[in-house]
Amino acid sequence: MLIRSSDQLPRGTALKRFPVPRNFGVSSESRIERGKTWSAPAGATRVKKFEIYRYDPESRRNPRIDTYEVDLDGCGPMVLDALIKIKSEIDSTLTFRRSCREGICGSCSMNIDGTNWLACTRFISDSTEPTTIYPLNHLRVIKDLVPDLTHLFAQYSLIEPWLQTTTPTPEKERLQSREDRSKVDGYYECILCFCCTSGCPSHWWNGDRFLGPAVLLQAYRWLIDSRDEATGDRLDNLEDPFRLYRCHTILNCTRTCPKGLNPGRAIASIKKMIVQRRS
Amino acid sequence: MAHDNRPLSPDLQIYRPQLTSVLSISHRITGIALSVGTLLLISWLIAAAAGPQAYSTVQGFIGSWFGLVLLCGWTFSFFFHLCNGIRHLVWDTGCGFELRTIYASGWTVITASSVLTVVAWIASFALVR
Amino acid sequence: MRSPLSRAQGLGSAREGVEHWWMQRATAVALIPLTLWLTASLIALMRSDYDTLIAWLRTPIATILMVLLLIALFHHISLGLRVVVEDYVHSDRAKIPAVVAIRLACYALAIAGIFATLRIAFDG
Repeated sequence: MLIRSSDQLPRGTALKRFPVPRNFGVSSESRIERGKTWSAPAGATRVKKFEIYRYDPESRRNPRIDTYEVDLDGCGPMVLDALIKIKSEIDSTLTFRRSCREGICGSCSMNIDGTNWLACTRFISDSTEPTTIYPLNHLRVIKDLVPDLTHLFAQYSLIEPWLQTTTPTPEKERLQSREDRSKVDGYYECILCFCCTSGCPSHWWNGDRFLGPAVLLQAYRWLIDSRDEATGDRLDNLEDPFRLYRCHTILNCTRTCPKGLNPGRAIASIKKMIVQRRS
Repeated sequence: MAHDNRPLSPDLQIYRPQLTSVLSISHRITGIALSVGTLLLISWLIAAAAGPQAYSTVQGFIGSWFGLVLLCGWTFSFFFHLCNGIRHLVWDTGCGFELRTIYASGWTVITASSVLTVVAWIASFALVR
Repeated sequence: MRSPLSRAQGLGSAREGVEHWWMQRATAVALIPLTLWLTASLIALMRSDYDTLIAWLRTPIATILMVLLLIALFHHISLGLRVVVEDYVHSDRAKIPAVVAIRLACYALAIAGIFATLRIAFDG
């Protein structure tokens, strides 16, 4: 099975999940329990089951999996449409982030059928039966499918994602050739959905110090921007056994990016730059 | 953080195994297996230096069914770690990051290490002195 | 009650790490021919008796390659296992002694192996 692009789903599945117990290594407050089942209305013909992670911070209960049987007639084609239908017609307490519904804002990133993607660009017809929906991996859950991204955004601000120059500001723009501008292609398009970072096992085990693929991709975006003049300082800031070198080229990031970007390649390029500056 | 009694969303328990992550953890597991295997390599070398009696004890262990099972696992670990290691070195030059190439090279590593293991074992049985 | 940015900053960048990364790759490249040589030699010698083995290992080329192999191999192992420990062990109390112990064990095993090889080469 040869995957050509990240939106290509595997034809078959040898293993849906790693062969570990369901609540393997999980602390007591994170153990997932069985939840409710919400049946489809009578007379529904095209019914699909969605198993969705639920957590209510105001109850003192553990998270659970609720099963929703959704009538696909009168439902849009995307997983986000199903979530919206569940919220408006079945269970209004279901909580999730969403905004643009067209794959550009990055709000509705979540784990669908075991891999991270945007709910608004994943077709229901491409998902398994039942469709399993979890929040992004290894993050504190605020409610239901809403994870706490504070630390991820803090790591993003750490790499100083703005133009840094010492040359005085020119009268008009800072000039950049077409060739230099094209170097930023494939990196500026990141929508910071954090599908890649939350799918990275190294970030699971060392996320407090490892920056993760999304942040490192953006770090590279500023490193190769020809107008930026702080390349040395940026590389100093990155060259650290944890911030950068926890990346072991696992490549879950490139496999899962819903925008088809390549964080794995960006990180390899950063490592190359660090070697080049001392050769 | 004020509310760290909040649950942590699941990771390894629900993430789908893909060629990327499976080959990566296999590279690590084979690396650890090989590291442990060097203990046998060193004891074999020391036994060879100590004399024919010590050497035949170690050879006896290697020739036992348990030793042969270990050696078989060790051979596959070696060829897998070698082939995947070369794949890693290619990545370090900056090449081979297109998803299509990642998958093609991954399947090639699995095939090549299996074939090399079988060939090595056939060769070892074929060469009888 | 630290701010999120201060938590992410931690103790700042160590400004080092490339040496480990480079040596891991350098020893890996060296190990490709060396381990293939060892594997091929062991397969060829699998059914030989003790004297044939010693005669082979005593040759200058075999001795030198074996010593080079042991140096590169244990350096590669030390670096690799260090990364594994750093990934999975998070308390400093356990991590730092474990890394040091692995490094010392690699030195010990390498020296033992080199000693055995040279003993075979120069004995009798």
